[in-house]
Amino acid sequence: MISLKNILDRRLIVCVGCGGVGKTTTAAALALTAAREGRRVAVITFDPAKRLKDALGLDDLSVDPQPVMIEGGASFDALALDTKRTWDSLVERFAGSREAAERILTNRLYQELSNELAGSAEYMAMEKLHELAHLGTYDLLIVDTPPSSHARDLLHAPNRLLGLLATRAVSLLRSPASLLSGIESTAARTLLAGLLKGLERWSGLELMRDLSDFVGGFEHMIEGFAKRAEEVNRLLRSRRTAFLLVTTAEPYTVETTIGFHRDLSDGGFTVAGIIANRVLTFPPLAGVPESVARWEKGLQKKLLRNYEELRALSARDEAMMRRLSEATGAPLLGSIAAVTEPPTSIAALQKFATQLRST
Amino acid sequence: MATATQLVFVTGKGGVGKTTMAAALGLHAAGEGQRVLIVETAGDGSLAQLFGKQQLAPKPSRMRPQLDAVRVDARQLVEQYFSEMLRFRWLSDRLLSSSTFNALTAAAPGITEFLLLDRILGWVEPGVLRRKPYDLVIVDGPATGHALKLLRTPRNLATMVPGGPLGRTARRLLGLLGNRLQTQVVLVGLAEEMVIRETIETHTAIAGDLALRVARPVINRVLPHHFTAAQVALIEGGPAHPLLEAARFSAAVRREADRHVGTLRRALGVTPILVRQVFAERVGIDDLGPIGRSLSRVVLNGSTETA
Repeated sequence: MISLKNILDRRLIVCVGCGGVGKTTTAAALALTAAREGRRVAVITFDPAKRLKDALGLDDLSVDPQPVMIEGGASFDALALDTKRTWDSLVERFAGSREAAERILTNRLYQELSNELAGSAEYMAMEKLHELAHLGTYDLLIVDTPPSSHARDLLHAPNRLLGLLATRAVSLLRSPASLLSGIESTAARTLLAGLLKGLERWSGLELMRDLSDFVGGFEHMIEGFAKRAEEVNRLLRSRRTAFLLVTTAEPYTVETTIGFHRDLSDGGFTVAGIIANRVLTFPPLAGVPESVARWEKGLQKKLLRNYEELRALSARDEAMMRRLSEATGAPLLGSIAAVTEPPTSIAALQKFATQLRST
Repeated sequence: MATATQLVFVTGKGGVGKTTMAAALGLHAAGEGQRVLIVETAGDGSLAQLFGKQQLAPKPSRMRPQLDAVRVDARQLVEQYFSEMLRFRWLSDRLLSSSTFNALTAAAPGITEFLLLDRILGWVEPGVLRRKPYDLVIVDGPATGHALKLLRTPRNLATMVPGGPLGRTARRLLGLLGNRLQTQVVLVGLAEEMVIRETIETHTAIAGDLALRVARPVINRVLPHHFTAAQVALIEGGPAHPLLEAARFSAAVRREADRHVGTLRRALGVTPILVRQVFAERVGIDDLGPIGRSLSRVVLNGSTETA
């Protein structure tokens, strides 16, 4: 039977789950637990909201690992991914020459893409993961993934990138006319040539020029991209990697978590287990204490009503946890009873970690 | 002149109840006689489930009198857009089935965001052929981080692609999103510390940096305020018993909630709308009436501004 302790012996733990389920807290608590056992740990968040810093009491979480001191002189490192800066350093490292790097960095399209448009965060998450895994500084990396559908994008980023590189899309962008060489029928060639002209008009000439510039600049970085993407792919599927599904018992969240489990399994990733946060566990009420029976009737009525309400939510939580276990077959590795305060200090995080370990 | 179609873009952290709010608002407006379309972007079928369906169709279909719903997904958007653009069916089929094209559209950042907005534009702008335009289009949007990127896409594209039809569409989208009489963003959150922080950040980013109109935030799943301060003191001093533990728990959660709502109010200078926790296994369509009523008071007042 797999336990949380087994999982902390792995090399990489990926925490997957909806936003707001305590994924970040769980990742940080696991890092704290492993660090106390003497392992060299880094916890990484890719979430643009950078919530990890809240739980860790770090105001300035950055792309460079920062030590978080815990009791007994132990510590673990924490960092947050900055998409733009990771892109830049990647370009600087792999562009081949200073001039090539400069050409890419000053490209208008590059600036927009690396900074703003959706999707690039996932590529960069993959790159950062690769960098840290090959640094050799850490025994254990704990990754807190971006919420919801973004986690899926993240996990599929290596495959998507490989898919892109495997096709001729890149050379097509570099020189759209190369599409024509593969087509034998003259009529089809003529049509396609017209289409490409139209596409250029449609997209605006400047975009095509920028795009070709951009892709051209990246051309000799492509081999490295592909190599790293493959390595991350292997790492994510390795026996020493554990995917943890973090969830609450809230119905919507449970359904989404079941979807994550399906996606991960379909993608060839192994889910080691589930951690459920904020589960309500009020049992059916067996009588009212004597002292309370003497309180005013109005208050007693409100107490009973309140209990009924929380009982309804507890029953819902129990049903949802059953549904989760039936739908996924994954073991429940930890269950945290509902707490009113999210841990925002190391001491509170410690308490959370203890509760997590004792389940 | 008929009033322009209102566009309400609902977003918030994952799992806070965006779909519930979008549906509640839509049902309420439809009940008031408006023609409403709800756009599901998540593709998880949660909106469909509220209406007792497995999945929504990729074309608007009738859910209730006056109320249509539609599902948009990335792949379908890419296919539709390019087959409309290319006209020759055999050519578009060929392009769409080529691995190069698929890898490119899946990997290129921003394409699906742009196409989603382009599709919404089609439902909002008065069409030549459409019999009767919608009065209200509600987008059950993606979670905050992604929604921000989505809302930024037109601006980025307008900068990146100054000319061509792509640039023109980007500018039309900018105009639509930026029109405060027509478009507003509804932020949904929970009275929990981290969600509140994110709500404040998102509100600032959308209302400030992007200069879009943002309605009063909606704080979902607030527990009722059962006990007076004196009663709480009595309960705190009472014996250890599940009945009193439950009361302590609710009182503490509510106290925390009030504190977080206070933080939000001070940070943004607006009072959020509190939506009460539904005590059932699942929020059903029958729970939405009161929610829709309270939302409509602040979200739909845009229609009176244009009138």
